[in-house]
Amino acid sequence: MMEKIIFALITVMIIFLLPPLLDGISRKVKAKIQYRVGASIFQTYYDLQSLLNMEPILPTERLAFRIAPYIAFASALAATLVLPFGSFVPVAFTGDFFVFLYVLAMFSVAMMIAGFSVNNSYTNAGANREMMLILSIEPVLGVAIGVFALNAHSLSIGGIPLNITFTPSLILAYVLLAYAVYVEGGFIPFDIAEAETEILEGPLCEYSGRLLGMFKWAMLIKRLALLWLFVSFLVLPIMKNIVDITTFTGGLATLVAQLVVLFIIYGIIAIIEASNARLRIDQAIRQNTKVFFAGLVVLLIAALGW
Amino acid sequence: MKYLEELKAKFGERIEEIKQLAHNQWLITVDKDILHEVVVYFLKHPEWKETQLSTMVGTDERPLRGKFSVTYWLSVNGNSDDVYIGIKAYLPADDPRFKSVTPLHKGANWYEREVQDLLGIIPEGHPDPRKLVLPDDWPSCVYPLRKDFHYSDSPQGEKYYPYREPPQGTTVHPIGPYHVALDEPAHFRLYVKGEEIIDCDYRGFYSHRGIEKISESRLTYDQICFIAERICGICGFTHSTAYCQAVEAAGEIEVPERALYIRTIMLELERLHSHLLWIGVACHLTGFDTGFMHAWRLREHVMWLCERLTGNRKTYGINLVGGVRRDFLDYRKEMIEDVLKKLKSEFGKLVDDLTSTKTFIKRCEGVGVLPYKLAHEWSVDGPLGRGSGRDFDVRRDHPYAAYGDLDFKVPVYKEGDVLARALVRIEETWESIWIIEQALDQLPGGDILAEYKEIPPYREAIGTTEAPRGENVHYVMTGPGNTVYRYRARAATYNNLPAVPDMLRGYTIADAPLIIASIDPCYSCTERVQIVDIESGKVRILKEEEFNKLSIKASRRV
Amino acid sequence: MPVTLRYPFTELEAPPEYRGLPHIDPKLCIGCGACVNACPPDAILRIDDYDRGTRKIVLDIGRCIRCARCEEVCPTGAIRLTNLFEAASPDRRDHIEVVELRLVRCKVCGNYTDFTERQVKKALQILPKEILEEEALEEKVFICRNCRRKGTVDATINATKEVVL
Repeated sequence: MMEKIIFALITVMIIFLLPPLLDGISRKVKAKIQYRVGASIFQTYYDLQSLLNMEPILPTERLAFRIAPYIAFASALAATLVLPFGSFVPVAFTGDFFVFLYVLAMFSVAMMIAGFSVNNSYTNAGANREMMLILSIEPVLGVAIGVFALNAHSLSIGGIPLNITFTPSLILAYVLLAYAVYVEGGFIPFDIAEAETEILEGPLCEYSGRLLGMFKWAMLIKRLALLWLFVSFLVLPIMKNIVDITTFTGGLATLVAQLVVLFIIYGIIAIIEASNARLRIDQAIRQNTKVFFAGLVVLLIAALGW
Repeated sequence: MKYLEELKAKFGERIEEIKQLAHNQWLITVDKDILHEVVVYFLKHPEWKETQLSTMVGTDERPLRGKFSVTYWLSVNGNSDDVYIGIKAYLPADDPRFKSVTPLHKGANWYEREVQDLLGIIPEGHPDPRKLVLPDDWPSCVYPLRKDFHYSDSPQGEKYYPYREPPQGTTVHPIGPYHVALDEPAHFRLYVKGEEIIDCDYRGFYSHRGIEKISESRLTYDQICFIAERICGICGFTHSTAYCQAVEAAGEIEVPERALYIRTIMLELERLHSHLLWIGVACHLTGFDTGFMHAWRLREHVMWLCERLTGNRKTYGINLVGGVRRDFLDYRKEMIEDVLKKLKSEFGKLVDDLTSTKTFIKRCEGVGVLPYKLAHEWSVDGPLGRGSGRDFDVRRDHPYAAYGDLDFKVPVYKEGDVLARALVRIEETWESIWIIEQALDQLPGGDILAEYKEIPPYREAIGTTEAPRGENVHYVMTGPGNTVYRYRARAATYNNLPAVPDMLRGYTIADAPLIIASIDPCYSCTERVQIVDIESGKVRILKEEEFNKLSIKASRRV
Repeated sequence: MPVTLRYPFTELEAPPEYRGLPHIDPKLCIGCGACVNACPPDAILRIDDYDRGTRKIVLDIGRCIRCARCEEVCPTGAIRLTNLFEAASPDRRDHIEVVELRLVRCKVCGNYTDFTERQVKKALQILPKEILEEEALEEKVFICRNCRRKGTVDATINATKEVVL
């Protein structure tokens, strides 16, 4: 029981407090690439703190506008809860893989609600872009996880990484998953919905103060959820051969391994972000569509058992 | 000048006077009824391919001869000839009207609206006679550039501006007056369907500061150099050079050779930092911040160098009528060489990084295309024109400063998209480095500032420079007692900006900031400068308490 | 190897060539107003108070454009551009420098003239002795324009009278 509580505590810390730190590190990495001193790695905490302490200015009376950041936050949170943290999965049940996809889509829906609830061509354009982007990438994510599920004969995210067998289609599935996670995370060149220099942060354009802070925090948590999924799929199959994950120490070791890989991946992402320009929405959609069809081929290969 | 006989044969008696102002400047005075015909005759002359409308000046000459005048200044570019032609017509004081050139040549659009705004000279048959320069709340029938208007007056009227109606089925997507992608205020009113831009309306001149009025009213020749430099925060030196050249031409002042070389070096250093700045901005607009930071890091080498050479990073303030104020000492020459060496190696790397960033190239390629024909119709200049296949450059076609002695290439691309403009600028950066190296090697000795006696009044001349953004044209009509009677500054962007709606049509909102930025717009330049008079105490300085009270009030309202 | 600095937490010094904030050395300023005439943005003003007999040279660095024309025209080197560049201040008055100088009081009519005592002193210093003695300038400089003109006119009239007589 004690062990469970400790894991639960660590998990909560990771979900709430790690994302801003990761963002801070990413900013520092970018600064280094750009020969800058850069802000402190804790800068994102300071930003969030000051935003959360500020009264928002409301451009509209609509409830949807005020509620959207909280929906986004709740969805991002829900998405993290079905992921395995070491041996610990906060909410585990069969079919949670669908829930994961649903709540991620919910996050985007919250963005769209935010964008469409005000009469502003910038937020509308942003919401539109978010919709198009999510419609083109969610299937890719679904297909990628589908290949894993097919391989592992499991529909639970906690169960998939422990039961996969190594086949050629699996490598392709990893590539697909990495791509989907990257796009869905809204990293450059796919930060199209929030493009600052084009549509002034799109759906977030009219937000300020606490509501903006909630949105930003939610976005960081969503990124963590996506990356944690990828990291778990990468780390757990390896760790299960080295340690016994179900024991306390084994679980802890796995968690540490997950964290290490997460930091490395976040660093790599920062480098990719720093060396790319933003794509246009039509370019991104075309690319995503191509990847989706490639994904279907991978699914076919996996279904054939390779 | 060639073709004068042809012109005389064509228009005969109605040409009133032909006068040579300077070695490459001619002024042809014609009857006001044939003004537009003569202008179009030169613009569409089959032998002069790259002729373009350089500037247009309206002058209130009522105190002198009881009439208004308008002068269209055309520059004959390309490899045709080194000629500037001014075509002037006098208009009666009680009914100043002339036939608009705009229906025949789009490039005249803004110029004619400007004389209508500022002088009340009406271009008949203008297709879009809306307000251009003056603010929305400026009363009609008050014309600030007329000599009977005092520079410190500021009348107030009702606020109104007739924007175009959005086309059927479109929504309005405003870019500006404040937008992250615009570094100065400007308002592009995009009419969009989804993300696609159907049409665009433009309202600018938010930073019109009345530089011309203040120069004509209050300043002396040497003082104007400094305000001319402040027309632009990026390419100010070319403005002050163009102004000095205009006065030097009008006053027949011989500038010492060393001063010409120093001007050349500073002009090219300015081009270097301006092009690096543009590359940075283009990267930033597409989200490629690494390119942005590195371009600006390189630019900083140039900025620091300029600080050592002139005493300031920008607005060098070393131009005076007759030469320059600061000399290059030997240790400063070494500094320039050092910086050039650094730039050469690092700029190559930057260009490699940019061209190997596929996402960046994807965003620039095939976007914002301005075909040659449109480029000619709008009289666009600088890298924008050269990116659309117009082969001209003031430095080569009308050599000024020391450019006549130096060797350089003028890059021209035919594609007319954002990428072509970027490539033109990148190549020009290399050429600039090469020009500075030559100028440093050939730097002659001697004086740097010419002494001159009083400049005779009522002489006209223009001075032109190739700014990083295109052709800068400054027109000066000298006045009595060390002052200017009429001063007209035309920045490169003035010709380029009207073409932007044509470049935006058919592309998406995502492309809009990049397309707008691709002309390297400089709004303050275009709009020139209101100075507040100290004696009348128009600037009200808020005390801290007052300010606090006001801001509390403002936040309560929210 | 970051190229950015932790400014404003580190000191930053401008290069020696830098044209920074102007500063008037009140000990050297003679109040001639050459800088006032040269200044393009009217950042320097000359305000004469004939009741109190003072001239103020007022420099407002908020209006200054750092062109250094004042430095070039100053006959005594009193106004100099320093290489300081940090002008931010919560108080607008910090931007203003005032040099107050005494005007010469006319020895004849007792009104204040439109030149300062230091200006006179400087002029007497630089003019060659012969000229000073020949024109009896040491006396004349302390007389205002009106009285001097009146003196000249009176002298001419007297001289004409003598000739006529």
